[in-house]
Amino acid sequence: MTHHPSHTIARIITLLILIFNLISCSNNEVETIDYKDSYKLEGGGNLVNAMVGEPSNLIAMIAGDSASSVIAGNIFNSLIKYDEKLNYAPELAEKWDVSLDQKTITFTLKENLFWADGTPLTSEDVLFTWKLVTDPKTRTPYASDYLLVKEASAPNPKTFIVTYDETYAPAIDTWASLHILPKHILKDEDINNTFFSRNPIGSGYYQLDQWISGQQVTLKANTKSSQGPANIKYLTSRIIPDTSSQFLELTADNIDLMNINPIQHQRVFPARKDLEQKINLYKELGNGYTYLGFNLKKEPFNDINVRRAINYAIDKDEVIKGVLLGLGEPVASPYKPGTRWNNANLSPYPYDPNKALSLLKAAGYQKNQSGLFEKDGKVLGFEILTNQNKQREMTAVLVQRRLKEIGIDVTIRVIEWASFINRFIKTGDFNAVVLGWSLSLDPDQYNIWHSSQQGPGQFNFIGYNNKEVDKLLEDGRKELDPSKRQKIYYKFSEHLLSDSPIVYLYAGYGLSAVNKRVQGIKTPAPPAGIYHNSYDWFIPQSLRRNEMAN
Amino acid sequence: MRKIIRNPLALSGLIIIFLILVLALFAPIIAPYDPNFIDIESILIAPSLSHLMGTDGLGRDVFSRMLFGARISLLVGFVAVGIATAIGVILGSVAGYYRGWLDSLIMRLVDIMLSIPSFFLILAVIAFLTPSIWNIMIVIGLTSWMGVTRLVRAEFFSLRQREYVMAAQTMGASDLKIITKHLLPNSLTPIIVSSVLGIASAVLVESGLSFLGLGVQAPTASWGNILTDGKEYIQFAWWLSLFPGMAILLTVLGYNLLGEGLRDAMDPKNNN
Repeated sequence: MTHHPSHTIARIITLLILIFNLISCSNNEVETIDYKDSYKLEGGGNLVNAMVGEPSNLIAMIAGDSASSVIAGNIFNSLIKYDEKLNYAPELAEKWDVSLDQKTITFTLKENLFWADGTPLTSEDVLFTWKLVTDPKTRTPYASDYLLVKEASAPNPKTFIVTYDETYAPAIDTWASLHILPKHILKDEDINNTFFSRNPIGSGYYQLDQWISGQQVTLKANTKSSQGPANIKYLTSRIIPDTSSQFLELTADNIDLMNINPIQHQRVFPARKDLEQKINLYKELGNGYTYLGFNLKKEPFNDINVRRAINYAIDKDEVIKGVLLGLGEPVASPYKPGTRWNNANLSPYPYDPNKALSLLKAAGYQKNQSGLFEKDGKVLGFEILTNQNKQREMTAVLVQRRLKEIGIDVTIRVIEWASFINRFIKTGDFNAVVLGWSLSLDPDQYNIWHSSQQGPGQFNFIGYNNKEVDKLLEDGRKELDPSKRQKIYYKFSEHLLSDSPIVYLYAGYGLSAVNKRVQGIKTPAPPAGIYHNSYDWFIPQSLRRNEMAN
Repeated sequence: MRKIIRNPLALSGLIIIFLILVLALFAPIIAPYDPNFIDIESILIAPSLSHLMGTDGLGRDVFSRMLFGARISLLVGFVAVGIATAIGVILGSVAGYYRGWLDSLIMRLVDIMLSIPSFFLILAVIAFLTPSIWNIMIVIGLTSWMGVTRLVRAEFFSLRQREYVMAAQTMGASDLKIITKHLLPNSLTPIIVSSVLGIASAVLVESGLSFLGLGVQAPTASWGNILTDGKEYIQFAWWLSLFPGMAILLTVLGYNLLGEGLRDAMDPKNNN
């Protein structure tokens, strides 16, 4: 093949002109919308969001991933729910009565409940779901709470009764998280392996419309919803594994909302007026915290002076400023700041290197020639493990720097999540970890801190063992009176802070970016968060995307 | 040498490598900051006179980190290729000189090693070891000796028929002496060329491992892990992706140009 050179040049020029045209076209298309202060409520529309992974299974008790539980949460209902102030509220049950001895709960279901296929929803379905979750053949990690129920019955279609062996304070909370499943479809199915996991029938605001593997899951408003109709007709969840790509899709108007990171919140948005014009940012404290945890069964962490010294040597404000660009709060108890269970009288260990030095000397450590602490010829040092999470890795680097300054030799190792859990956490083969806990709304943390919970795969993998804390955790589970319970967990938090089995690093703000076409979001956010009333959100006709009707 | 200098591509390769070597060698003198100095008051600052390549997510100076990262990349390249070449030369000499069943055995081993995608083999091995720069060098070295083995064997096949080798054998020289004094010096050219090209791929593998978080561990700087940081902030902090990317590109290009140039220069058939 031979080309005359001038032809080639002509082609290149044509191409350049084309590209230039394309660029200028897309620039011209940027239109600015003048958003009104308020819009009339209109049903319909399509809300598009993004998720990092594909849901594995829409039966929440079997699936363990967050993508599945988010989607299943739109399709299924529990007996009760939390309202916007985080108090219990009716969902499928209109009321629930606790017996005088506090061991029996009687739930009364609402009138006229239906599954999306038109079959009535009754207490038989609830009983069936309880049997399913406690069946040893069901592969679910959530059975333990429901196994505490000694007896469950459904004496009539509207009534469901559970009786516990002894008082169990988190009981009500457990009925707010169990999705009720339809008996008439599942009674002859193997729950671990059923068509239903990809083709569910629920009673919630939405039902499955279309699931294209690797691309998206679309939900459609359920006309027989037990909670009344949702405003927005379609919910589309696109699968976009990379959060940077998600962000590009958000800025290009192809998705309506996503969680963003501190850099995007503090640096990218302020620098781009076009984004501020069309996207609202929301910031609310998440229910969880990040910590540096010690393996208490190993040297040197079995020494409380060493643990406290490390706590004093770490500058938590610096971590919040450096890693979260200020979008976080220091914590001093394992509860969300500002909630009922958080003991506001406690304050974090201040940054005090001198105190750290004197504690280490009290523990019998001496500085050697290279400036590191040493005891019996062994240098004081350890490895911090963390998973591939940029914020945790940066946190570990900041911790390492401060500990090196006072003479503790720290190395960092970053590991992929699955091997992090299986090879190091489950086997107890680690010195220290930077990790996070996300918490449920009930204050019970028996699984995390009770000395009996140290088996492989159990949550007290740091090996915390304190008789008084064990007693408090056991009492807290039996106490139904909120103010008495509060005292118990205040005391528990005090022990935890003084023992310093972990160093609380920060509680980060959840940062959401939502396109302004989505209306009806409550500001300021209620304690339950902005997503709490997502069924009341709506997209006015004039702000909708141009989409083909389907 | 004169041929290399006359070959403009090889010369540019040589200059690039030389410059990077100088920068890496004198990193402590050139670097304006301690590469691990954290300054949370100046997070993600764009390149300027005080920070030539900007700062990263913890306010560390990227230029200083790039300089120290160059040391890691070059060290990994040299040591890994050194290991690979040593193994390759020994196995190749044995196979090429003794032939017979030893040759078959070694060549089948080479075939087996070549049939495994080497990057995945390295990933699998590293996953079981503590990720450290020494482990990475050893693993890269142990998985990339096959090319040298084949080259040395092929050279020996032709060389051992030569009259001077036969003469040495007749005069009763030991095998070791024949291999080291007569055969190896005459097969040096292909070994050098393949080593130089090997350094380029070792640099790439190290960057790849660090990018995946399996290489050099924080806070030590390497081009690969600066690039990973960059991925996080790509829409905002372009300098974190551009500079390490360019550095890897230039180094690999430099070694490749030099390697190709050496090959042309040392090829007796190539007279222009």
